[in-house]
Parts: sequence; structure tokens; C-alpha cells
Amino acid sequence: MSALAVASSPRRQLVYNCGPAQLAIDFEEPALGEYLHGLLSQYDAPWAGPPNTIQVLVESNSLPTVASGTTGSYLTLQRLRVDCIDGRLVSLGHLGSRMEFEMNASRARVSVPPHPDRPALVEEIEQQFVLLLARAWAQAGWTPLHAGSLVPPGETRCVLLCAPSGSGKTTLTAALLRRGWRTLGDDKTLLRLQAGAACARALARRFHLHPEAARWFPEAGNLTDWPRYSRWTDKRVVQIEKLWPGRLLDEAVPGAVVQVERNPLGPALTVIPLEATEILNTLLRQVVIPGEAAHARPLVNCVVGTASRLRGARVMVGHNAFANPDVAEELEQILRRLLA
Amino acid sequence: MQSKSENCRWLLRPDVVSTVLNDGAVILDLRTKFFFSLNASGWAIAQMFESGATRSEVLAASLNWGAASADHPGINGLIDQLIAERLVEPANNSVTAGAQVTLAVWTPPMLSKHREPLQRIMVSAFDPGLPLAE
Repeated sequence: MSALAVASSPRRQLVYNCGPAQLAIDFEEPALGEYLHGLLSQYDAPWAGPPNTIQVLVESNSLPTVASGTTGSYLTLQRLRVDCIDGRLVSLGHLGSRMEFEMNASRARVSVPPHPDRPALVEEIEQQFVLLLARAWAQAGWTPLHAGSLVPPGETRCVLLCAPSGSGKTTLTAALLRRGWRTLGDDKTLLRLQAGAACARALARRFHLHPEAARWFPEAGNLTDWPRYSRWTDKRVVQIEKLWPGRLLDEAVPGAVVQVERNPLGPALTVIPLEATEILNTLLRQVVIPGEAAHARPLVNCVVGTASRLRGARVMVGHNAFANPDVAEELEQILRRLLA
Repeated sequence: MQSKSENCRWLLRPDVVSTVLNDGAVILDLRTKFFFSLNASGWAIAQMFESGATRSEVLAASLNWGAASADHPGINGLIDQLIAERLVEPANNSVTAGAQVTLAVWTPPMLSKHREPLQRIMVSAFDPGLPLAE
């Protein structure tokens, strides 16, 4: 991470390094900066080279924004509708927040309206910042990929773990970290295809681990001692370096993809090989592709080009599977075979 | 559809994104979020519509790629598929025949539509999927 307070109140500027982008944020309302610190400080993987700096003004409006005029033609998110107009991303939130990102000028403005449900409003502003960062990373030539990763000891090639949130990516990752495997992260990865070679980069070094996982990984201690990730989940924000030191990598070469699924009524481990089409399908579903062709094209090129180099499998994990150490060992063998 | 569109010039829609692979291409329709795989011959045909082409021009080009007249039904079928999926649209009169497309080895052209479209509504700009209940 790296938040650097640059000016004193009442207005406050904070600078965050978030992978290949840097946000220099002016908060009209300093308290909002504190609320957003958890989100903006999570992209803490080290990154070499000068970042693309985006100046952001977060202003507090006395009147709610009129939520009309955007169609969601660029992106329709659960909380936001986004259009791309004359080189600007214009995003309106359901609660009235508005973000305007002038992409060529690297300048953004976030308007925060008054709203009685403050936590919900903060979550909406967080989504505005995720949108801003995802676009900034793509502008820097990276494809944001919602996937975890695992690298066998002594190797540089990784297995990408793909699944919706809540499918067990983090638990599966933790099960192998404790056996010496390494990772770029549990669900946020940046992908790049350059000169025919694919590269995956770490973005966030914190995991979102469910306290229940301590049943199988006793060395993790009482996971409820870690801060809660959000009000919607019991997951905790865990510093992996403190639980399993030396397991974090900055980059790796994608060699395989695994579609992770829970299989509560099935056996501990079920593995089904994926065909080329399914590998592409799996990877494409982990990338947010906007409706603007010029923005979509490099992302699709990256995903399709990477997918064509990968082997893949669907791995279904049964209930309480990791209570049996043999399951983790079998999983290791399966992932090694995919990378062979 | 074929007779009506015989002389019509078709153009790949601007919001259809294509990625070339060694053995063909993948195209994604940003409007419907469906994606399609094409083999090399299928991609050679689709590529002609990137700059605008008529059905007759494609059939003529296919002879240079090694196709025979017996392949015409397959070629027409693929063009019909492109039209039916609305991946191409009629071009205006200012569009003329585009650059020449080359193909190393001709095989029967194929366009396959993937079963499920990509998500239309996403959780966040980083996470396309809906979270599962814990």
C-alpha cells in the first residue's frame, strides 16, 4: 500500500500506490478518506517503475445527483451504471454518487451526495474507485483478472484459480500454502500478454479468509481476531505473510487454470479436465469486459491469447475435504500434472 | 435470406471484437455478450466483413483459398449464421471491397456459438461473478 498524507485538514490529500496506478486523492471530507482507506490500501503488492498518477477530487455535494442520463452502455454493475462519453467514463451510483474520469487527462472527480445510509453510500463510493482503478490498470496495459493463483515450490509457473466469490478459492489456496506452495493472491491478479508471453502479477497481499478455515489450518489461530472484510460476509482480511511467511510472489507465468467449485454432497475431490473452449470460457468469465470495443479489445486479446496456452481442469471440493491431509496431497499432484 | 442478401454488402458490427489465434479466431459480441469460435476458414470469411464484402465476393475469394464449388453451401451457411446472429450488418454505399484476405489451408468453415453469454450485470469492475452464498 502506501498512503501518504500530503496536506492537513480540513481538506486532506492521500496518495495510494495501487499496482501500476497511483491515486492522489483530495478529500473535501477527511472522514471519507478514513472509510476508504481499507479498500485503497489493499493493493499493496510491490510494483517497480513509475506509476500512472491519477488526480482524484472527492467532493461532498449538498444535493443528491440526479441519477438520469446514463444508460450503462459501457458497464452495468450491481451498484453503478457506466457510460463512456467523449473520452470520459461517467458512472452514476444507485444512491446518487457520481464519478467522472477524464482518461486522457488522468483526472477524476467523485461526487458524494448526502444519504441516510452512510455504510451503503461508502460501499458505493468504493465501487466507484474499483471502477477507476480497473480502467487505470487496463490503460497501463494490464487485464484485471478475478482469480487466485498457486505456484509449486521452486517453480515460476502458476495455476490460476477461477470461481465466483464464495466458491473456496482462498481455502484451497491456503491448503497448499501451508505445504510450501506460493501465491500472487487469492482473488485479484493482473494479467498481461506481451510479445507472445503471458505474465500474471500480484496486486493485493491480503487474503479474505473465512474463520471456519481455522478448523483445517490450526496454525492460522483464531481468524476472528482479524478485521472483518465487509458487513456482508464473515470473511476476515488476513495478512498472509504473518500466517505463512515467504509464500507471496510478485509475478508468475500462467501455465494452467482451475475452475474451483464446492461440492458439498460429493466426494472430497473430483477432477474433470477442461477442453480448450471451456478454458477460454472459464477465464473470460473472470474478466469484466466493457461495452466499448476499443477498451474491450485489448482485454479480450489478452484473455484469449493466455487461454490458448493453458491446460485446465474443473476441481470440485467436497464438504470438510481439507480435514483429511491426503486431500491436499492429492490436490498438489493434480495441479502439478496440469503444469507438467 | 440468401437470395435477398446476394448483392448486399455486409460489415462486421463495430461492437464485435475479434482475437486471432493460430488456428482461427474468437469473436465476442459486446451487445449480446455471446462469444463464438471460428476455425481458420471461418475466420478468413469473417475477416472479409471487417472491411465490407458481398456474398459473391466471399465466394470468389474462397476459390483462391482452395475451396471448390461443392464448398459453397458451407460458406453460404456460415454467412447466414453471421447474419442471423447479427454479427454483421448491411454496409452503407460508401463501403467498397476491402483488403485481400489470405488463407494457408482450406477446410470446411465453422462458426460455433458458445453456450452461455458472458455476464451482463456484474458485481464490480473487477469481479464479474455473483458471489455464492456462504
